[in-house]
Amino acid sequence: MTSLEFDPAATAGMSTPSEPVATESGRAGLATWRVFRREPLGIASLVILALLIVVAIAAPLLAPYPASYGSDVLKPPSLQYVFGTDSLGRDVLGEVIWGTQQSLLVAIAASVIAIAFGTLVAVLGAYFKKLDGFISVIVDLTLSLPVLPLMILVAALVGPSTATIIAVVAAFSWPEVTRLVRSQALTIVNLPYVDAARLMTTSPLWIISRHIVPAVTPVIVVSVVVTASRAVLSAAGLAFLGLGDPTTWSWGRILYEAQQSGAMSSAWWLTLFPSIAILLLVLSATLLSIAYNDARNPRNRAR
Amino acid sequence: MPRSSFILRRLGRAVFTIWFAVTVTFLLLRLLPGDPALAVASPNMTDDARAALLTQYGLDKPLIVQYGLYLIQLVQGNFGVSFTQSIPVMDVLLQRLPWTLLLTVSALVLTTAIGIPLGVLAASKRGGFLDKLVQVIGVTGQSIFVPSIGVLLLFVFGLTLRWLPIGGAYDTDAYGAAWYGSVASHLILPAVSLMLIQLGSYVLTMRSTLIDALGEDYVTLAKANGLPYRRILWKHALRNALLPTTTLIGLQLGFLVGGAVLTETVFAYPGIGRGIYEAVTQLDFPVLQGAFLLLAITVVLANMLTDIVYGFLDPRVKTS
Repeated sequence: MTSLEFDPAATAGMSTPSEPVATESGRAGLATWRVFRREPLGIASLVILALLIVVAIAAPLLAPYPASYGSDVLKPPSLQYVFGTDSLGRDVLGEVIWGTQQSLLVAIAASVIAIAFGTLVAVLGAYFKKLDGFISVIVDLTLSLPVLPLMILVAALVGPSTATIIAVVAAFSWPEVTRLVRSQALTIVNLPYVDAARLMTTSPLWIISRHIVPAVTPVIVVSVVVTASRAVLSAAGLAFLGLGDPTTWSWGRILYEAQQSGAMSSAWWLTLFPSIAILLLVLSATLLSIAYNDARNPRNRAR
Repeated sequence: MPRSSFILRRLGRAVFTIWFAVTVTFLLLRLLPGDPALAVASPNMTDDARAALLTQYGLDKPLIVQYGLYLIQLVQGNFGVSFTQSIPVMDVLLQRLPWTLLLTVSALVLTTAIGIPLGVLAASKRGGFLDKLVQVIGVTGQSIFVPSIGVLLLFVFGLTLRWLPIGGAYDTDAYGAAWYGSVASHLILPAVSLMLIQLGSYVLTMRSTLIDALGEDYVTLAKANGLPYRRILWKHALRNALLPTTTLIGLQLGFLVGGAVLTETVFAYPGIGRGIYEAVTQLDFPVLQGAFLLLAITVVLANMLTDIVYGFLDPRVKTS
C-alpha cells in the first residue's frame, strides 16, 4: 500500500541516528528500487514524467510552432484540432506541446539553481555554527513573507523573459530547500564519524563534500521534486499575470492569453488542457517523491 | 515568563520581519538592472522630469542616504504615487485591502472548518475508504494551479448553472441588506477556490498529528478508564493535535496571499491581487512595490496575532 502522507519536514528527520550514513550505496539503491517498482502510483508517475520529457524534447516533431494566425477562431476540440483553437485561431494542442518544453525547462533550471544554492547554504550553516544563526534567521524571514507578490515585483522590474522567470523562481525557492536540508545536516554533523573525519583532515571542504553532502542526498532528491513542482506553479502564476516570456509558449501564457481575450470561461478548452498539463506534471512529481520516500524507508522494506 | 514580555518579544520579531521585507525591497529596486526612477514614476517621462524626480526622491545621493530616506518615507506612510491613477499608492491599496482581507479570512475559516473535521474523521478510521479518499484529495489539491480551479468553478456554477455571479465583489445597483447579500454571493466562488487548494495541507497535517496523538499514553489511559471513543477523539486527542495545525496557519499565510492574487485575477475581485494584475499590465511599479509591502505587513501582523492567541491557548508556550 502506498502511503500518501506528505510532510517534507518529517521526511528530513526520518533517518534516525541508528542509520547514520544515508549514502545510497549500490545495494541500498537496489533495495529502494525493489520496493519502488511494486508501488503502482510511483511507477505511474515515473511513466507520466518520462512522457512529458519526451513530449518536450520531441515538440518540433509533434506539432508546428503555433505562431501564425489562423482563420478558425475559437473552435472547440474536433478531429482537426484535438484541443481546439484559441482566439487568434492557433492550435491549442501545439501550444500545450511547446509549452511543455518551456515549463519543464523552467522547472528543471530553477530547481537545480535553488537546490545547489540552498544545499550549499544549509551544509555551510550546519558545519560552521557561527553562520547558522544568521542563515536560519534569513530563511525564516523569507519563508514568512508572501513570495509571489515579491516575485511579481522583481519580474516586472527586470522585464519578462525565460531567464528572468528562472532566476526569480530560483531566488525565492532556495530558503525552502535550505530549511529541509539544514535539519538533516544538523543531525549529521554531530555524528561520531564526522568527528572522526575532523581528526583525519583539517579541510572543511573535504568533510563537507565527502561526508555531509552524501548523507543529505536523499533529502536533496526529495527536495528536487518538491522544488521543481513548486517552480512549475510559480512560473505558471507569473505567466498567468502577464510576466511570462511573450515570445515562448508556456502553459501559463495560454491561460494568460485566454484571460486577456475574455474567452477564458466560455471557451473551456483554452483553460482545461493547459490546466491538466500543469496538474499532471505537479501531481506526478509529488507522487514520485512520496513513493521514493516510502521505498527508501527501511521499515517498508521488511514487509 | 510573564505574558507582557511574551507579547513584547513577539512584537519585536514582527517589526524586525517588516524591516527585513522593506530592506529586501529597497535592495532589489536599487541593485537590479533597471532604472531606479521607474520605481517612482512612469517609464514614459522626459529626461528633465526624470532628473527632477531623481533629485526629489534623493536617488542621486549615496545608497546609504537613499536607504535612510526610503525608511523615513515608508514610516510616514508614503509609498509613492501611482502614475496611472495619479493618486498616492497608499490610497489605491487601502481601498482594495478590505476585499483581500475578506477573501482570505473567509477562505481560511472555510479551510479550517472543513479541513479539521475531515482530518479527524480520516485519522479515526485509519486505512478506511474515507482515509484513502482524503489523502488522494489532499495531495491532488496541493498540485492544482489556482486559476484552473477558479475557472472550473466559474464555468460550472457561474456560466452553466448560473447560480452565482461570475465576477466582481458586489452588485452596483444593490443597497442595504441586498448589498450585503450580493457581497456574500460574489464571495463564494473565489473563497471556495482558495479553500480547495489550501485544504490538502490542513487535512494531511491534522490527520498525521492526530494519529500521533492517538498513540500517546494519555489516550491509552483514557481508554483504560472506559471513556467513550468519541470523547477521547474529540476532547482529548484533538485538543493536543490542534496545535501543529495552528502553526500551519502561520506557515501558509504567505502562500494563501499568493493564491489570493491569482484568484482575484480570475474573478475580477477588486482586492490587492487584482490591483497587482492591473499594475503589471500598465507597468505601474510604485503600486507593485506598495502592494508587496502592504501584503507583507498584513501577513506579518496576522502571524503575530496567531502566535499571541496561541500563547494564550497553550500554557507551554509561555513557560518555555
